[in-house]
Amino acid sequence: MAPATRIECDVLVVGGGMAGATAALAAREAGARVVMARKSPGSTGLSGGAVSVAQDPACMPDAPFAARSGVVESARRIAATRPGHPYQLLRDRLDRLWNAVEFATGQFSSVLAPPTGRNRWLLTPFGHAHPAAACQRTMAAGDLAEVRGTLLVCGFEGHLGWDPGLVASGAVRVEPLGGPRPRAVLLDLFRWEEGALGKPFDLARLLEAPGAAEEAGKVLKRVLVRGDAAAVLPPVLGIDPAARVQERIAAEAGIPVAEFLSDLPSVPGLRMHRAIEARLAAAGVEVLGGEVRGGAGPDLPAAVGGREVVARSWVLASGRFVGGGIERRGELREAVLGLPVQASEGPFADPSIRFAARPSATLTLADSRAPQALLAAGLRVDGDLHPLDAEGRVVHPRVFAAGAVVGGHDPASDGTGMGVAIFTGWLAGRAAAGRGA
Amino acid sequence: MAGPAHQEGYDVVVLGGGVNGAGVARDCAMRGLSVLLLEKRDLACGASGASSGMIHGGIRYMTSDRNVTALASRDAGYIRHIAPHLTFRIPFLLPFATQEEGSRLLDRVTWYATEVYVGTYDLFQPLKGGKPSVRLSPDELYRLEPGLRPGLHGAVTLDEWGIDGQRLCLLNALSAVDHGADVRTWTEATSLVREQGRVVAVRFRDAVTGEHGEARAGVVVNATGGWSPGFGRSNGFPVPMRPGKGVHLSLDRRHGNYGIICTAVDGRQMFLMPHEMESIIGTTDDDFFGNPDDLDATADEVAYLVDGAASLVPSVREARITRAWWGVRTTLFEYGVEEDDLSRDHRIYDHAADGSAGLLSFVGGKLASYRAQAEELADRVVALVGKGVKPCRTHEVPLPGGDEVPSPRDLAARHGIAEVVAARLVYRHGSLAWEVLRLADEDPRMKLVLCRDEGILAAEVAWIARHERVRRLQDLRRRCRLALGGCGGLDCARPAAQIVARELGWDADRLRAELADLLEAGWRERRAVLDGWQLAEEELLRAVHRGLGGL
Repeated sequence: MAPATRIECDVLVVGGGMAGATAALAAREAGARVVMARKSPGSTGLSGGAVSVAQDPACMPDAPFAARSGVVESARRIAATRPGHPYQLLRDRLDRLWNAVEFATGQFSSVLAPPTGRNRWLLTPFGHAHPAAACQRTMAAGDLAEVRGTLLVCGFEGHLGWDPGLVASGAVRVEPLGGPRPRAVLLDLFRWEEGALGKPFDLARLLEAPGAAEEAGKVLKRVLVRGDAAAVLPPVLGIDPAARVQERIAAEAGIPVAEFLSDLPSVPGLRMHRAIEARLAAAGVEVLGGEVRGGAGPDLPAAVGGREVVARSWVLASGRFVGGGIERRGELREAVLGLPVQASEGPFADPSIRFAARPSATLTLADSRAPQALLAAGLRVDGDLHPLDAEGRVVHPRVFAAGAVVGGHDPASDGTGMGVAIFTGWLAGRAAAGRGA
Repeated sequence: MAGPAHQEGYDVVVLGGGVNGAGVARDCAMRGLSVLLLEKRDLACGASGASSGMIHGGIRYMTSDRNVTALASRDAGYIRHIAPHLTFRIPFLLPFATQEEGSRLLDRVTWYATEVYVGTYDLFQPLKGGKPSVRLSPDELYRLEPGLRPGLHGAVTLDEWGIDGQRLCLLNALSAVDHGADVRTWTEATSLVREQGRVVAVRFRDAVTGEHGEARAGVVVNATGGWSPGFGRSNGFPVPMRPGKGVHLSLDRRHGNYGIICTAVDGRQMFLMPHEMESIIGTTDDDFFGNPDDLDATADEVAYLVDGAASLVPSVREARITRAWWGVRTTLFEYGVEEDDLSRDHRIYDHAADGSAGLLSFVGGKLASYRAQAEELADRVVALVGKGVKPCRTHEVPLPGGDEVPSPRDLAARHGIAEVVAARLVYRHGSLAWEVLRLADEDPRMKLVLCRDEGILAAEVAWIARHERVRRLQDLRRRCRLALGGCGGLDCARPAAQIVARELGWDADRLRAELADLLEAGWRERRAVLDGWQLAEEELLRAVHRGLGGL
C-alpha cells in the first residue's frame, strides 16, 4: 500500500460541529493552516435552529420576559452560580463572549440571523418558549418578544407531525407577560399521501418545488384575519436557503413568516450542517472525513481517512456522547486521546472526586429534571482550555478542548450548549493559532 | 368531608388490575356476577407487566412443585387457545458446560440428571402444545447459536411460549367489560368498610379526577399483589407473603433466535431470550419488604444479570441495554428458605377469621396459570355470593381479537402498509387489526408510522385511545410499548401524545403533563443502564424533551 499522503499544518481540529467549525474558522482567520478531522455530522447537525448561549438563571420559567438582561449578563450570572460550568472557568474572559457570538453568527450568516444582544423567544413543537441568542434567519420573525398583535400558529391539515394548539400553548403562557396572542390554525396543505406520510425532509423538499411556496402562501393568506401580525409554521420551510421558501411564502401571504424550532429529525439542523460545510470550504479549511487514529497529539502523525496529519496544535472539539468525543463503555473516557473524564456538575464538580468508573445509577438522580452528573461529564480544562490529566496537570501546552467535550455543563438541556461551543471554540481556535484572546 | 360522589352495589369488587385481578373479573363477569375492578394505576403496572413474558410450564418448579408445572402447562395450552395472536414460540437451549462427557462421575451425573429432568418435562409439553426436547451435539449447538462461548459440549432444547403480559391483562379487563363489568383504572381503593365483622363496601379515589366514591360489595377480592401486605396492614388484615423483587434487562434488538439458560454467579438459573422485537435478560430474585412504588434497579442487579448472561454469550457485554425494569413477585410465605426455593404455588386466604368476612386475598401463582387461578378464585367468590350462576368458560371463549389471526401479508396488501408493521399490529390486536386499519382507510394520515421499533401506526394509537381504556399517556407503554424501544420516545412520544390528546380531549397543559410523566417513567428505567450508544441516545432525548420541550 502506498504511504498515506502526509499533511503538515498549524492546527488540527477534531470535530466539525459548532465548536470545531468556530475553532477552525477562528484559527484560519488568525492565519493558520487548518485541517479538520470529522467522522460524521455531530449534534450541531441535529440541532433545532436555535443558538442558545445563556438564559438568566434568576428568571422563572413562566416569566421569561422578566429576563431583560442581555445574553452576556446572563452568562455572568451563570458563571457566578454554577460551579464547574465552563462560563465560570472562563469568567475573566466573558467580556469577549459577545465577540465570539458575533464571529460565529457572521461566519454562518447564510443561515443565521444577526443577533440582537438579548434573547429571542421562539416557540417549539412542545408548546414551550425557548430563549436563543441567535437563530436561523427563517425563524427570526417568530420572536415572541417582538411580535405585537396576533401570532398565527400553523400546522398542516394533512400531516400529524405538529399540533398547532400545542405549539401555541407556549405562547399562551407568555401572553400575559407581553407576548403576542396566539391563534392556532391548520393550513390546508399536504393532504395527499406523499405529504401525509412524509418525514420533515420530505415536506421540506416538496415545498422547494417550483410554485409550492407560492401555493403555501396563498393557503396561508386565505386564513388571515385582521390583527394577524405574523405566522409561524412547522420547521420544514426548505432545506436549501437559496430556495428562499420562507421568504416566498411571506411575500405571497403578505405577512411575516417564521418557522418554529425543530425537534428530530431536524431540517434546520441539516441546513446548519450544510452552512458550516460551505463556510469551511470557502475559508480554506481542509476537511478530512474519518476518525482520528493513533494520534498522540501535536507534532506526531495521526491517521485520518487515509491521510497522515502532523499539526503543531490540536483542538479537541469532538463533542459529548452524540458527537462521540466522550464515551462510556463500562467507564467514561475521552475517545481521541484517552484523556480522563473528570469534570461534571453538582457533587461531582469537585475535581478531587474520581467518578469515571462509577455505575451510571450513582451518577444520575431519579428525578430527570435534576442536574444529572453523567450527562454533564467531560474533560476538565484550565482557564486556557488545556485539558488536564488525572493529576490536574496540563496534558500538552498545544492541546486545547472546546465545546461539549469539555465537562461541567449539560449541553443538551441547560441552555448554554451552543454558547459554550462558540465561546470555547473561538478561544481555542485563536489560542491554537498562536493568538491570545 | 364531602360524601362519596356515587354509590353502587356489586356482587364482587376486585382490587388490583394485574393478571389475577383482571382474570377473576373476567371470569366472574362471564358467569353473570356484577363486577367492579379497581386498579390504582394502570392495568399490568405490577408483577404481571414486569414478568418475563412467558407462559412457560415452569420446569424450574418441577422438582419441588410438580403440581405447579402441571397446572401451568395445562393452562398455557388454554391461553394459547383464547389468545393465539399474543403468544409465540421461544425455543430454549440448555447448554452443557462440563469439560468432557463422562470424564468425571459428577459430570456424568449432571448429564444424566439434566436429560431425565428435561425428559420428564417433555411429559408436560403436549398440555401446552410444546415440542419435545432434542439433544444437540456441539456442532449443532454452535450452528444454531454461534454467539455462545467456546468449549460447550452440546445442549438440550426446551420449547416454551412467550406472551405479552401487559396485553394479556388488558384483554382480560376488556373482556370483563364486554360482559358487563366496570373497570376503573387509576382509581385507588382507599379503605374497606366493615359492618359486624363483614367487609361490605370499598371506598376509592380516582387519581386523575380526584373524585371519591364508594362501592357496596358482596365479596371483595384483594388481588393487589406486591401491594397486598401494605394494603392489609392499613386495613386491618394480615396477608402472609414473601415478596421478591425481580429485575429484567432489555436489549435494543433480538440478540439471537434462541433463549439461553445460563447460570448466574451465585449458581441460580437465569436466561437470555429473544422476546418480541428485543431480547431480555432475567432475572434477579431478592426479598423485598418495602413499598413496590419505590422500586428502582440498582447497579448490582444490572451487573449480576449482565455477568450471568455473558458467561455463556460474551457478546452481551457489547450489546445495547435499553432499560432495566422490575416487579415484585408475590411468593408464598415461608421462614428460613432462600428466595429461589420459595414455592411458586398460590393460595387464597379467606379473612373471615380476621374479622373481615367476605374478603378474599390471592397470593402467589404464575402468569402461565393465571386463568386457572382466576377460575379457582371465582369459584370461591361464587360460593360466598351464594347465587346461581353460569359455569366457567374462560378456557374456551377467546379473548378480544383472539378469534382469528389474520395474515399480515393480506392486511399489508389490502391497506398499503408495510408487512412488518402489519405483523406487529396483528400480534397486538389479532382479528381486531382489521378494525384498527379501518381508521387508516378513513384518514390517510393515520398510516403514519410513529415508532419504527415497534411498528406503531398513528391509527393504532388512535384506536387504543378510543377502545383500550387509556386514561394516561403512559398507559400506551403497556398497550403498544410506546417509547420503550431503543429511541426511548424520541420519534414517537410527541406525535402519539398529540393523537391521544385529540381522542381524549386533553388541552395543551394536560398533554404536556402527560408527556412529561411518560418520559419520566422511561428515564427511571434507563438511568441504571446508560452506557455506549444508549447514553448518546439519552443525550438526544434530553436535548429534545428537556432542552427544547421544557418538560
